[in-house]
Amino acid sequence: MSYKLQFSSILLVLLFFASTGYTQAQTVSGLVTSAENGEPLAGITVILEGTTTGVATDIEGEYNIDLNSDQFQNGVLMFSGVGFIQQSVIINGRSEINVQLETDINLLDEVVVIGFGSQIKEKVTGNISSISASEIEGVPINSLEQAIQGKAAGVFIQTNNGKLGQGIQVRVRGSASVSASNQPLYVIDGTSVTTANLSNTSAATNPLADINPNDIESIDILKDASAAAIYGSRGSNGVVLITTKSGRAGVTQFDANYAVSTSEPAGNKEWLNGDQYLELFDEAFANSSTDGTINGTLFGFTRDGLYDTFIPGWDQGYNTDWQELAYQDNLSHKFDLSASGGDDKTRFRVSGQYNGQEGILIDNTFDRISGRLNLDHTANDKVMIGTNLNVINTINNRLSSDNAFSTPIQLVALPPVQRPYNDDGEPSNQTVYDNGLLFRDGATFETTVFRALGNAFINYEPVENLILRGEFGADVLDQNEERWFGSSVSQFTGAARGAADNRYVRVVNINSQAYANYIKDFAQVHSIDITAGLSTQQVETDVVSVSGIDFPNDFFRQVGSAATIDGGDATVTTYTFTSYFARANYSFDDTYLFPVSGTVDGSSRFGENNRYGFFPSASVGWIISNENFLEDVEQISFLKLRASYGFTGNAEINNFQSRGLYGAGAYGGSSGLSPTQSPNPNLKWETTKQFNVGVDLALFSDRVTAEVDYYNKNTEDLLLNVNVPATTGFTTQTRNVGALENNGFEFVLTTRNFVGEFNWSTTFNFGANQNKITNLDGQVIQGNFVSQAVEGEPIGVFFGREYAGVDPDNGDALYYVHSADGKDYNAGTTNSFNGANRVVIGDPNPDFQGGIGNTFNYKGFDLNIFFQYVYGNDIYNGGGTFQSANADFFDNQTVDQMNRWQNPGDITDVPQARLLGGNGTGESSRYLSDGSYLRLKTVTLGYSLPQSAVDLLSLRSARLYFTGLNILTFTNYDGWDPEVNTDFTASNITLGTDFYAAPQPKTFEIGINIGF
Amino acid sequence: MKAIESKTVLIIHIMKKIKSKILTTLILMVFIISSCDGLLNVDPQQSIDSEIALNTSDNVESVLIGAYDALSDDDLFGGEILYEPDLLADDNVNNEVQWTGTFEEPEQIWRKDIQIENAQVSQTWDAAYNAINLTNTVISALDVVNEDIRGRVEGEARFIRGIIYFNLLKLYGMPYSAGNIGTNLGVPIVTTPTNEINEESEVPRGTVEAGYQQVLNDLETAESLLPETNGIYASSSVAAAILSRVHLQMGNYNLAREAANRVINSGNYSLTSEYADAFNRTSNSSEDIFSIQVSEQDGANSMNLFYASADFGGRGDIIVRPPHIALYEAGDDRLALFYDGSTRTGKWSNQFGNIGVVRLAEMYLTRAEANFRAGPPYVGDDPINDLNTIRGRVNLPFYASPTEFDLDDILLERKLELMFEGHLLHDLKRTQRSVGNISYNSGQILYPIPQREIDVNPNLVQNDYYQQ
Repeated sequence: MSYKLQFSSILLVLLFFASTGYTQAQTVSGLVTSAENGEPLAGITVILEGTTTGVATDIEGEYNIDLNSDQFQNGVLMFSGVGFIQQSVIINGRSEINVQLETDINLLDEVVVIGFGSQIKEKVTGNISSISASEIEGVPINSLEQAIQGKAAGVFIQTNNGKLGQGIQVRVRGSASVSASNQPLYVIDGTSVTTANLSNTSAATNPLADINPNDIESIDILKDASAAAIYGSRGSNGVVLITTKSGRAGVTQFDANYAVSTSEPAGNKEWLNGDQYLELFDEAFANSSTDGTINGTLFGFTRDGLYDTFIPGWDQGYNTDWQELAYQDNLSHKFDLSASGGDDKTRFRVSGQYNGQEGILIDNTFDRISGRLNLDHTANDKVMIGTNLNVINTINNRLSSDNAFSTPIQLVALPPVQRPYNDDGEPSNQTVYDNGLLFRDGATFETTVFRALGNAFINYEPVENLILRGEFGADVLDQNEERWFGSSVSQFTGAARGAADNRYVRVVNINSQAYANYIKDFAQVHSIDITAGLSTQQVETDVVSVSGIDFPNDFFRQVGSAATIDGGDATVTTYTFTSYFARANYSFDDTYLFPVSGTVDGSSRFGENNRYGFFPSASVGWIISNENFLEDVEQISFLKLRASYGFTGNAEINNFQSRGLYGAGAYGGSSGLSPTQSPNPNLKWETTKQFNVGVDLALFSDRVTAEVDYYNKNTEDLLLNVNVPATTGFTTQTRNVGALENNGFEFVLTTRNFVGEFNWSTTFNFGANQNKITNLDGQVIQGNFVSQAVEGEPIGVFFGREYAGVDPDNGDALYYVHSADGKDYNAGTTNSFNGANRVVIGDPNPDFQGGIGNTFNYKGFDLNIFFQYVYGNDIYNGGGTFQSANADFFDNQTVDQMNRWQNPGDITDVPQARLLGGNGTGESSRYLSDGSYLRLKTVTLGYSLPQSAVDLLSLRSARLYFTGLNILTFTNYDGWDPEVNTDFTASNITLGTDFYAAPQPKTFEIGINIGF
Repeated sequence: MKAIESKTVLIIHIMKKIKSKILTTLILMVFIISSCDGLLNVDPQQSIDSEIALNTSDNVESVLIGAYDALSDDDLFGGEILYEPDLLADDNVNNEVQWTGTFEEPEQIWRKDIQIENAQVSQTWDAAYNAINLTNTVISALDVVNEDIRGRVEGEARFIRGIIYFNLLKLYGMPYSAGNIGTNLGVPIVTTPTNEINEESEVPRGTVEAGYQQVLNDLETAESLLPETNGIYASSSVAAAILSRVHLQMGNYNLAREAANRVINSGNYSLTSEYADAFNRTSNSSEDIFSIQVSEQDGANSMNLFYASADFGGRGDIIVRPPHIALYEAGDDRLALFYDGSTRTGKWSNQFGNIGVVRLAEMYLTRAEANFRAGPPYVGDDPINDLNTIRGRVNLPFYASPTEFDLDDILLERKLELMFEGHLLHDLKRTQRSVGNISYNSGQILYPIPQREIDVNPNLVQNDYYQQ
């Protein structure tokens, strides 16, 4: 990899130029540093207590203060700064006083990023979850969403499977739509970025995996309407605002981080060994054969004849553990280097990362090379300009979708009595299904992304208190997917002499915005903060693809070498948004808060009769702890009541869905036209009306802080892909019909249990959400497997036949026959699959989920233990009809199938084994399980070298750490992993479904951080 | 729109209050944003609006091509509508063919254990009505079609509609041979294009009789309107050929032999000299009356996908079993077409080959059978001669006299000649022969009405066998 080499040499050069140094001072002087990371702190106020005598630290964190002799002996210096806990030091005649300031972890004093601005958290009247850099750094994750998992109350994050670079579902306060996207809007430094799946296979890719998590300063998730309404028709699913780290004035500081990690599957399934397999299948053959014994025939085959046909080699005594063969030994490296600094005119931060990840599955890798420059410059006292620029290259060696034989995990379907390799070492092609190992050697699937993401801005302050800001942002993403299938995998592809395809996607996403912000206090008690402006977004997606077959030999892998070009396509599609927004925050006496906002939003996606929507919001806050009557209650350091109500929209549907369209086709060399869509000129956004009420509380000098929220989210005019009778020539139409609601409760508690030399703090968050589809206009909208959207039920319920176990008399699988309303199984049971009716058998949505973390610091040691939990969801194993089917076909079976019914009177839930007998193998609640889990998501143990040792090494700081990811999982789910949603069907409706989905990785990482 | 104006006014108001220098800056900032209503007017580039699609003769002709494209969908004559009935026709006892693949839907069909949610059953339904809507669209827009081609365009559209309804009736409705055609249910008959989707779109099933009337009406009209030859598209002979098939299915032997005779007598077709030459064609053979055109770039051949081995780009999921091979007489050229130890048919061994829908050999066999049943005076030729035409081509001895064969022999000849081309199930049903021990009129060898369709159309009645 020449990139790796180039990158490493650049880093070496940068290292070479690093240097440190500081000088001495007189009278009382010293250095103020951060207790957290030892960095010098500029702008810290140093005041002699009881006087107005004071100075501020300079950019190197140093101060000098002149005092008289009395003060010098008896005075007390107060060190204070935003974001730090104030510290008092008795001077006691010392001329040098160095101070380490503790970071103020009181969340309420933090500044949170909101749409088109920022706000002191204390004054926020909506609901915003904030995650800071320290929670993201150093965790061996593939994509940044995984860093949020379990950390933001009410934000449910589920990775589809354990493949690298694959789709991740994020639900902020539940699913707000049935057919339109449920993923939040992501805004990085003001630019709404491309996050949509760009895959040419059924398994989604994740453009967010391009972003280097270590560049992130904070993630703020706008959850309620008052926070999100400013994003208008894009706000319903919540808005994730990502702010990247910017430079700080001061000595140029370098930070380097190197980490190495290895992963193994977080869980596995148990399969039959060779002896068990033959025992079970012999019995299954006998049960299905003409005379009920092993000597009979089945479909005209004797047992040996049938086995020889389907599982040749079955009598050779092989005992293959196919599951083991799906995994690879792996080692991942991550190297980060950043430099940050500047002066009061110009500040910068430059960072680079090389992250080479190897996945647990054979052939699965993800490499990211990312460089970023964040620069801002104060031109004069009125004008500031800046830019954030990120250039990224990722290379993902991908795998087939979960439903393909070629995906490694599907190796488990192969019988243990067949061998993986021939005598010559080549993968066997005699297996009952195509041997996925052939794919490892005979095919490649590489996705390369080049991405430039950045913006430029100008802040102009024409008069005091008024700031005009203009921003131009662009996210240009080029993706190239290259697949090659050699001759050895022709049974997968049908191309005896090789096949290759190449698909190129370019997404040009242009954002621009201009807005004015005016902040003013009047008569000491009135303060206003007004923002108004406009923004536009234009996104054009070009896709070009070509495929070819018939190559001279397996050394030729580019389409250009193909004898036959068998496919090609080029398409372009565009959508646009234009928004006009305004927000006014009025507060009285810093105690009574009254923000309102309104956005007028138009999109090319809406029908001509409904081009613009209006999305207003209003909220109130009352900081009760500022009232006189609470002044004496010392235990309460902060108390705020808040409530909000507002409208947000969702427009995440395909482009041009309002139009009646004809698309081009071809037959026999002539081009043709066919209707692809029936018109709906009234098509518009979905509207979500959300009410939120909450309390923020801090007790015992902020040692305990808590937030409690209740919300009600009602979504109307759903953008529904309504099923229509196929006799119309169409199967669905997108209409604004139906409604759903989400009700929820969120609780966040942070306690600082010990403060001092030994620090221990605990954070706990809990989010319960109840989703219910209240109106679908009578529709039943099917997902895959047994997932459906059903009126009166949560989205994506499992709707199917209810398994009633096994008839003890004859071993037949039984199903419940329910009453017509589906509520009771009063009509008994039946052994006829079609004779049983379908009812709601499960719900993939968790009742509640969240996380609990404990952080300990003692001397140089830091320990962080973070658990994530999900409770009350079900998982449907779509692969169960193959994996646990009492030997219905030759797939290897899970070990629990040995508990099959054998003799009259046997009580078991595994039906009699019948080869090709279809006994209990239909989709039913037989394959449904509880998906709750508690997971030790991360544990990190770090050791920072003491200052003396660091000085000796001429460094600023040094820390060694160990991190474990997904170390322990407690669950009743007997599949690979309870965090699952198989990639090829993952959608709004098909949730919590397993189908040979690879488990999450269990990762062990060691790393070192060095500051100099 | 009023709301937008007031926002703009607000911005302008702010601008006025501050100095002109600031104004310039602001204008510059606003300038970088192309914030006008025009930004929202974006047109698709791979699609056109429906009004444009039907406003010229050329465009309507393009929609007709779209209908052929829909007909060639892999859920229809791209393969599914041919190999699925072949699987359903296997008795699972004698077991002439076997599904060995992993797709559950065809396996259910082969096992005669079709679940009402079977996706392929649903896809065939959807694809069929998509094609029907296209033909309805063409027929409704005939007045913009140039007069000189109007008859041909209508004829082709009616042919496509007719053949699709015929196949839907055979799969989803009770067999015609089961009688009670005035009460037994067929499929919903839709003959107008969909401009709006509303309650009227919830069309109930028509009777078997009404369905066959629609098919006859379409195909007879098509035959009368179409030119005698029409390249790869439907001609009057193509319509007549399918018409002979419909009449045979209905037991109208007089009409069946006349229709078959019209095709044979057209003189436009001749049997290929070698049996094998009739298959795996990239262009129509002399014997092809109508085939679905497939090329490397366009179309799908699901027959090849499931019948052919990997060497020919297939999955090889359907295998042929010895009991079928045993049916052929020694020396039959048709035997030579099997490969891989006589486990696969060589009729489908070109990934990009055309898919034959009707070929001349069928016309001879139809005329022979219909003449045999209806008796003299024979139309066209004596059954013995037609049978010998078929037998001679595959190097089998001629029948010397009419006493040497009976109806069973004719039906066996038909089965062997047309095997793996989607005929067997329908031939069994029309002759009231059972599939193994499943009676020809059992609901077990009918498709269910797709559950999805039942869910969205309250007027649909499920086939008895699949009622819960």
